[in-house]
Amino acid sequence: MIAGLSRAQRTLFSALGLIGFLLFWELSLRSGLLPGSLVPLPSTIPGVLWLEVLDGIWFDVVRSSLSHYSVGVLLGSSLGIIVGMSAALLPRFNAAHAWLARLLRPIPPLAWIPFAIIWFGINPSAAAFIISIGVFWINYFASYSAVYSVDPGYEEVARAFGQQRFLARLTKVSLPAAAPGILGGLRSGLGQGWMTVVAAELFGIPGIGQRMMEASSLLATDIVVVYMLTIAALYATFDFLFMLIQRRLLRWQP
Amino acid sequence: MTACGMNSAPVLSVRNVSLGFTDTTILAGVDLTLHPQEFVAIVGASGVGKSTLLRALAGLLSPQSGQVEIPTANTSDTRAWSMVFQAPRLFPWRKVRGNVELGLEGLSLSKAERRRRALEPLALVGLDELAERWPHTLSGGQQQRVGIARSLAVRPRVLFMDEPFSALDAITRRRLQQELIALRRRTEAAIVFVTHDIEEAVLLADRVMVLGNQETGQPARVVETLGVDLPLDERRDHPDFAPLVQRVEAIIGNY
Repeated sequence: MIAGLSRAQRTLFSALGLIGFLLFWELSLRSGLLPGSLVPLPSTIPGVLWLEVLDGIWFDVVRSSLSHYSVGVLLGSSLGIIVGMSAALLPRFNAAHAWLARLLRPIPPLAWIPFAIIWFGINPSAAAFIISIGVFWINYFASYSAVYSVDPGYEEVARAFGQQRFLARLTKVSLPAAAPGILGGLRSGLGQGWMTVVAAELFGIPGIGQRMMEASSLLATDIVVVYMLTIAALYATFDFLFMLIQRRLLRWQP
Repeated sequence: MTACGMNSAPVLSVRNVSLGFTDTTILAGVDLTLHPQEFVAIVGASGVGKSTLLRALAGLLSPQSGQVEIPTANTSDTRAWSMVFQAPRLFPWRKVRGNVELGLEGLSLSKAERRRRALEPLALVGLDELAERWPHTLSGGQQQRVGIARSLAVRPRVLFMDEPFSALDAITRRRLQQELIALRRRTEAAIVFVTHDIEEAVLLADRVMVLGNQETGQPARVVETLGVDLPLDERRDHPDFAPLVQRVEAIIGNY
């Protein structure tokens, strides 16, 4: 927290910073300080966005990116949470998978593109697969450490009050106690998903990424910026909605 | 006042119990028989194994040798034993009532009965008004009261208490000690109470069991068990109270 500023002041300065940046950008182009072939005029962006929307292109690419994104995030999150929690709860499974996880973890999601194409072809499944990999690891580690570090005192309480069965301990202790960590992982996974969605579409799968590649090959930098901002807006929306859910689920926290 | 329980069958029988790890024994030869409504306090220097013994009696740990027997509850809506811990250890993700209901889950009770059975002990500790609050909004003393209500809700035959008041401030501790004295009349449970506070032990218990090490390197044993034959209500002011506390202190000092 920055000391000495009220909430209103902070908002004011944040707005000024953003407006100042846009003004500087606009003016440096208009004055010839920056060449117009490299970056578009910010004031043209709303018009370009409107054209993309009128053509229906914007909806098409957003819809297909969203579908890659949701499938990838859903798959990666659920597998990551299941595997991460199992590793934390089942010592044998933990030991059995430890080296394999260490081997696979450093491989970046985009390094899976060749296999994605070989296995799935140039189609939406390939994009969803690539997105799911990054999301998987984030959720895997978040869930693992959240469950692993649950206060053993809670386990003892559960046993002292007749809740010693695995399923009872899972639903009454491990899951709720680890919920803050698991939800935190889910939220970073939602962000990570957007980082890979564009890259996963660059090799020809229809979506925001492909549209950006098309535009850049025609030097239509204004269209590129439209979609950069689209991703930022989508990310902000998802993050905000998830934060509401998270706050609701964790309302027991001080 | 505990004589009423003497005729009925014991609710806890401990025979020659030893505790320890693979090749070291930390505590040996513990015997204890407890009838309904009896209250035994276990005292001893820190590290002597009081809390470990309590967990072994409850079955949370297996003893190295010997037998612990708690006859199983003969009804499907009670549990044989329950426990109050040093820290309240309430589940922060459950409201107060949900915490008290924990031990009732899995018993043959309808949802409505479970609710009623949770509110009953909450009223007993004076917190029924706070049933729908989150634990973090309660004071330390209130949280520990919820812990006590949680353990009473299952109507245990034996109630294990592991230094339940040691983390509280002096005023709250005193108040909860008084409440426990009053509670004893309203529950059938026998109580095993671990404390390092000798005054507290003499204040609350019918019997004080002193654990000590007779020789260094040897496992600890029960060095003495003293009966406390003072009226429960005004013990602190009774002329025999202070001498008895001093006697127990002297015994612990010897080991």
